[in-house]
Amino acid sequence: MNKKKVYPIYFTFGALVIYVILFVVPSIIGIGYSFTDWSAYSDKLAFVGMDNFKTVFSSDEDYMAIIKNTLEFTFITTILKNVLGLILALLLTKSIKLLNLHRGIMFMPSVLSTLIIGMIFKSILNPADGLLNTFLRSIGLEVLAGKWLSTSELAFGSVMAVDIWRGTGYIMTILIAGILSISTTYYEAASIDGANGRQKFRYITFPLLLPTLATTTVLNIIYGLKVFDMIYALTNGGPGKTTTEVLYTAVFKKFGTGQYAVGTALSSVMFLFMVVIGVFMIRIMTKDEVVE
Amino acid sequence: MRSWRRVMALGLVATMTLLLAACGAKETAVDANTESAVAETETEVVAEETEDTQTEDITISFMASQDWIQDAELDLAKKFTEETGIKVDYQIVPSDQYPSLLMTKLNTGECTDIFGGQSGKFDIQTQYNVEKNALDLSGESWAKNLDPLAATELTVNDAMYGQPIQDVSSVWAIAYNKNVFSELGLSIPTTYEEFTQVCDAILATGKTPIYEAVSDGWHHVLWFPETAVEAEVLSPGLFEKLNNNEITLAEDATMKLILTQIKEMADAGYWGDNYISNAYADAPKNIASGDYVMTVANQGFGAEVNGVDPNFSADDIGYFVIPLADNQTLNVNPSGPSRFIYSGSKNADAAKQYLAYLASDESLAYMTENVSKFNKLPYSNAPSKYTDTIKDFYSRYPDQATVLQTAVKYVNPQWMDIGTNMSAMLLGEMTPDEVLAAIDKTRDDEANAAKDAAWSK
Repeated sequence: MNKKKVYPIYFTFGALVIYVILFVVPSIIGIGYSFTDWSAYSDKLAFVGMDNFKTVFSSDEDYMAIIKNTLEFTFITTILKNVLGLILALLLTKSIKLLNLHRGIMFMPSVLSTLIIGMIFKSILNPADGLLNTFLRSIGLEVLAGKWLSTSELAFGSVMAVDIWRGTGYIMTILIAGILSISTTYYEAASIDGANGRQKFRYITFPLLLPTLATTTVLNIIYGLKVFDMIYALTNGGPGKTTTEVLYTAVFKKFGTGQYAVGTALSSVMFLFMVVIGVFMIRIMTKDEVVE
Repeated sequence: MRSWRRVMALGLVATMTLLLAACGAKETAVDANTESAVAETETEVVAEETEDTQTEDITISFMASQDWIQDAELDLAKKFTEETGIKVDYQIVPSDQYPSLLMTKLNTGECTDIFGGQSGKFDIQTQYNVEKNALDLSGESWAKNLDPLAATELTVNDAMYGQPIQDVSSVWAIAYNKNVFSELGLSIPTTYEEFTQVCDAILATGKTPIYEAVSDGWHHVLWFPETAVEAEVLSPGLFEKLNNNEITLAEDATMKLILTQIKEMADAGYWGDNYISNAYADAPKNIASGDYVMTVANQGFGAEVNGVDPNFSADDIGYFVIPLADNQTLNVNPSGPSRFIYSGSKNADAAKQYLAYLASDESLAYMTENVSKFNKLPYSNAPSKYTDTIKDFYSRYPDQATVLQTAVKYVNPQWMDIGTNMSAMLLGEMTPDEVLAAIDKTRDDEANAAKDAAWSK
């Protein structure tokens, strides 16, 4: 067998054609539509230049607040999911009883459908008879019982908290795999040199886990920018105008009201964001590979 | 080992071939079955080769929003199939997704034979473009039985395009618990001030005066366009000016007053603590519990409360018009969900036959009898089941006016947006002026997108 044989380029053609037809072409057509006045009210299309983008970036509209919400959601959930996931991964790679049960419980929320989690939490966070407030009242902490999803102050934090609860187990699992792949010889050598637990983490676990952390960060960022179902199920962008509105829920609503062109302009802006962030992240990851 | 692999490979190839054959040749399979059946009962099949075999092949597709189609209508569809052999395929779509799906289907020219849509003489023209997308039904046998007001909302340039699905006689009013009112010695308020006194008296007993549900996004909107009839009463011709783009909502003082009073009510605690997270589906349960005394509902609400708690009679619920801005005009809305036949339908005759069946005396009686919220369908040949309470309510308000969302263009299509802006107002993020300005702006956007002549002047 000739193992060094390089496969000819035409082997990729089939996959490329499918990718181009199903992904690249619709994306380009979508961007093209954002320069038109496409709407449900008229079956005629006219080129309107940058008008839709002017609307998106206009100070009279709420789109900048929506973009800000999306970035805030992405930033906060990415950091907290990584930090909490790392803490859990460190705890659940120690020799403790019923290790797999603990791991299973922590991973469980990631397996459930986001929409179902959203609906369950909508009920749990109901201010009148939700599980959380009922529990707080029963232990005498009524002062902490809040209107979790129905006030401007708490709604965004509540939505992010539910999403962090859902996503941490998944990040933890990836990080556990990363920690387990670190050779035990490093730890043995460090123990012989008299290193304590914190030093082992700082000088062995953390540096060697960085590539895995870069992967989880990219996954979280992409998820955060594209988040839809969790917010749709919990608050649908409310309460009020833009409290928890993110890009995808806004695009969905624009399509719902028949303003297709503004919807595509908004998703084109998001596409641009993701490309910029994606290129940036790939560079960081490739840099790590070179160091290795 | 090698022979075992061969057997496996052969088995897999055979399974794949069978699967492909089964998927690709569904019709052939049917033909084969038919052939064997023919062989068995040859004489019978030849004898029955009549027109029936042709109608049996017809299936009319019907797309509608989830709340519009009642079980009773599905029963009628089955009976229709039994009688005529024509099948009716209902495609029920979740209500929040329906408008955009319908618009996409109409714009791409791939609609179902019958489609459901909200009537409204302006919206059916600007949104659905019925002159192009729907068939003229003016000549159908049932058209002459249509209630004139309901027919107006389905008519464009003297051609009538739709058939109402639901009872449109019902109006959105305040439904109240008569027992609590009589216990507290309260009478039906006729002004906003009296209404606040009623609410204060109820609040003093520890009960919440009004059950309101903002989380659904549509229910709390009703307070505004339903009482905006008062703006037309105070400034006759206002609605026409709005349609001609000669005035904006923000310029009208009554519109602002209504929104201001809505905010006042919420701030005064009349809607309780949890109105933002309440759901309208829980309204009958909460009124039956006695914790809440009033809610905005239509005249089927008494029956719904009775359905939740049989001890609570439907007649224990009374109704009065929403007295914001001191309104005392009955806010009628002759528009509602309707059936349209798609102009590109290949089964138009069968679809017309089905609509005629649904508008027959028997079908209308069956619907009225089996749908609790239907009191009187908008046809002269439909029976009525109004109770004395409901008759008393309607007779109390001799003046009637059509609600804002039906009388004025580009209000109904932005209903959910108005809901978002109103909830922002309730949270203090927007002022009533800003809410009105936002509605005006969306009206402008929609009118321009529809290339409305009144906006291009």
